[in-house]
Amino acid sequence: MHVNAVFIDDTFAEAFPMRAARIVVTAVNARWAREAALKLTGFATSVIACKCEAAIERELERHETPDGRPGISVLVFAMDTEGLGKRLVERIGQTVLTCPTTSCFDGLPGAEKRLTPGRSLRVFGDGFQASKVVAGDRFWRVPVMDGECLLQESFGVATGVGGGNFIILGADSRSTLAAAEASVAAIANMEGVILPFPGGIARSGSKVGSRRYKGLAASTNEAFCPTLRPLTASSLPADVDSVLEIVLDGLDEGSIRRAMRAGITAACLPGIRAITAGNYGGKLGPHHFPLRSILDERADAGART
Amino acid sequence: MSDRVTLTLRAALEESIEAEAIVPSAFATLGEAEIRALPVWAGRSRRVLADYFDVRGGQSATVRIVGDVRRAHGIATGMAAGDLVVDGDAGARFAAGMSGGRADVLGSTGDEAGVAMSGGSLHIRGDAGDRVGAGLAGASRGMTGGEIVVGGSVGAHAGARMRRGLLFVGGNAGELAARAIIAGTVIVIGRVGPEPAFASKRGSLVVAGGVDVPATYRHACDYQPPHVRLALTYLARRYDISLGAELVEGTYRRYCGDASTVGRGEILEWIRE
Repeated sequence: MHVNAVFIDDTFAEAFPMRAARIVVTAVNARWAREAALKLTGFATSVIACKCEAAIERELERHETPDGRPGISVLVFAMDTEGLGKRLVERIGQTVLTCPTTSCFDGLPGAEKRLTPGRSLRVFGDGFQASKVVAGDRFWRVPVMDGECLLQESFGVATGVGGGNFIILGADSRSTLAAAEASVAAIANMEGVILPFPGGIARSGSKVGSRRYKGLAASTNEAFCPTLRPLTASSLPADVDSVLEIVLDGLDEGSIRRAMRAGITAACLPGIRAITAGNYGGKLGPHHFPLRSILDERADAGART
Repeated sequence: MSDRVTLTLRAALEESIEAEAIVPSAFATLGEAEIRALPVWAGRSRRVLADYFDVRGGQSATVRIVGDVRRAHGIATGMAAGDLVVDGDAGARFAAGMSGGRADVLGSTGDEAGVAMSGGSLHIRGDAGDRVGAGLAGASRGMTGGEIVVGGSVGAHAGARMRRGLLFVGGNAGELAARAIIAGTVIVIGRVGPEPAFASKRGSLVVAGGVDVPATYRHACDYQPPHVRLALTYLARRYDISLGAELVEGTYRRYCGDASTVGRGEILEWIRE
């Protein structure tokens, strides 16, 4: 299959279950909501070393937020519910609580499984905190120096999908980065999915473990490194000198499929030779995303040959 | 089984009746004939619902009352689920002890609407009498949950001894509003009468239309309380109430008190800018 003359590899992305929370941060204006959200999602590219993966999902209009202020929704993914709970306490406590004018709300109100970071964080109020119940949900008023920080007590937990991906193989660094940026732009603001790496793009595609260093959880995927082409069993065609990867985490399979379709289609630009995906032969996780069938799901996925 | 039960008042009530049997959650399991036979008290006389109302439908928790039932007291007592609409005014103790469901009075109610309420939603489009959302006589607690929204004004002791919940008043409140509240929130868009939040331990009295703050409350600061914004935004969306941005986004003067108790309560007075 080709899309705009870009070869689509007959392979699939392999992903695994994760636990996810959606955090809605509001503030006096969009700037401060974003400031908090950027800190909230900092250093959260991969569970391998960051203990969670997080990124901004989308900007929210006033009518979409509980308090009618500008907001940002953030998705946070961890490998288990306990770990997710710890990350929420750490991150909300150190980034939203500290940020001027912000409030913090649950973005998964329908989820049955709940975590209670607000209950843990309320003690920052040192006994001066107070709670309010609005619409059946409890909120904590934590006194801070600019007034009060309002934190929802309980946050829903979803069983999400982590590790969706596609890999862009380009002729050179410039065209490959441009294609990856186009992918990110196409996926930006899509509901239920995030791209946790810097700017949504990863250059350090990894393999599990290490060929030389014991105890290393992950190391470079030499098969996709153009500088190692003559030294390894390279997976790169001869006309590919740059590779970038888009990694996706989503609240469900459908979100990832939609985002992959949009992202892959957008990436099929001049200078791009092929799109492939990372998998472990089906041994890593139960969620498989075959590139070709994903692109076939919509008639307007692009001009194919 | 029908979509709803409709009770149509046959003639204007010439005497007060106790109609505690009119409870949507109870109607859900009763047929039309059983509903007709439910007891109603007129003074010491035991009558049945069919003596006063035409009953249509059964086995439904969606109930509509048509007619002026301001002399029918205790309607929706202990309502736990379902939907109730009263097409006009209702009497005293409307939705007393309500724990769930939605009750909507298109007119006004008498005293003690929503007393001892613990859950659900009570919407009174007109006015309410004294002790709305308060406790039953002698009880140590007023409402312990749920929401009461009054479009008009309320009498004295609104929300007295409230332990939890939300009481919104679109008009004015009489004396001793939020008296001795233990927690919860009372919001009054109009003016409140003398001695507001007297002896309150915790909880919030939010006033937009003017309040004489007692000497036992001390000024803390002027700020934009996020919980007030959240509550007003929620109420505006849920009940389609028109609240200006100046109230929702406005600045409030916070007073801490009542100093005669633990003093963890607050009066939040909206500042017109």
